[in-house]
Amino acid sequence: MTVVSLRDVARQHGEVHALKGVSLDVARGELVAVMGPSGSGKSTLLNLAGGLDRPTSGSVVIEGADLAAVKDLAALRRRSVGYVFQDLNLIPSLTAAENVMLPRELDGVRAGQAREEAEAALEEVGAGQVAGRFPEELSGGQRQRVAIARALTGERRLLLADEPTGALDTATGDGILRLLRERCDAGAAVLLVTHEPRYAAWADRVVYLRDGVIADATAVRLESAR
Amino acid sequence: MSIRHGLLALLSSGPRYGYQLRVEFEASTGATWPLNIGQVYTTLSRMERDGLVTPGGDDEQGRAVYEITDAGRRELTEWYATPVGQADRPRDELVIKVAMAVAAQDVDVAAVILAQRMATMRTLQELTRAKRAGSEGAAQRLVIDSMIFKAEAEQRWLDHCEAVLKEKSA
Repeated sequence: MTVVSLRDVARQHGEVHALKGVSLDVARGELVAVMGPSGSGKSTLLNLAGGLDRPTSGSVVIEGADLAAVKDLAALRRRSVGYVFQDLNLIPSLTAAENVMLPRELDGVRAGQAREEAEAALEEVGAGQVAGRFPEELSGGQRQRVAIARALTGERRLLLADEPTGALDTATGDGILRLLRERCDAGAAVLLVTHEPRYAAWADRVVYLRDGVIADATAVRLESAR
Repeated sequence: MSIRHGLLALLSSGPRYGYQLRVEFEASTGATWPLNIGQVYTTLSRMERDGLVTPGGDDEQGRAVYEITDAGRRELTEWYATPVGQADRPRDELVIKVAMAVAAQDVDVAAVILAQRMATMRTLQELTRAKRAGSEGAAQRLVIDSMIFKAEAEQRWLDHCEAVLKEKSA
């Protein structure tokens, strides 16, 4: 089942053609990595796929909803999309569990239920034991685990990750990719932007952008895929 | 990679027969350097000639068993103690290919780089799958990691080539 679908998507910022006709689908259970030099359109692609921005032309469909027909992008994002960034952005004055609960409470979920969901989500990402700790008491790897738990609480199935391994050492970074991979295998769709080949290599498909178009894409041979 | 030293390392923990050496060599290197049995026997007979191993008779099933000698142990100790020099490694065909392509002027260097990038990325994906699936020990995992780091270095170098060439043409 396709979670996000981009068709001939272009995005202009004034005179600048950031993206010039890109088509890409990400299905449940699929991890797709986007690579490319800076200025190739990676971030633009991620913003469009997550409904943070609308295309100049072409269509973006997130879980069946065409962005062109969606009035309230914020509501669509809250319902469907989770984000993990490089130095995220956990709220320092909230514990790990409270950080994960927050978007659900904003959705109107009762605190008790939100807490249960948060604890389950933290458990799933191997961070159950740090639920009561504050971000500054966590290692870089643990913080990213909490951010991933937060991105996937509730019904969200689409996870957009922008350099989520930022400053982590390679063994910890591999752990984060292993976790994203597991979340995919459990049914999430993940679109990952990275400039690090070693992390892109965890993907089912690696898309290489250059000058706003897909220069090429790899897929793991089907017989060896999952 | 020295097959000779790999076999000596295995023999240092006890006598072994040819097929067993092949299986253990492949297991400890994560099956990344397949050996054929002929290579094993050729290497063993050369090492016997050089006094590094000695035939230890047949085991109960009639298989010819080899043992490491004192000279073999000294050779192995020295191997572990000697860093591998860059010059000992074979020339890198990719580097030569890209250099030639740039010098030739009528070759589409960007296409050469992109083709290599995608091929290396596929290799990286396969190595990563092997690592994910791997439940073997630390030795095998580290062998795969080493290949991942090498493929990664190649990708970085290709990025660098692309950036430098773009700068020159701009």
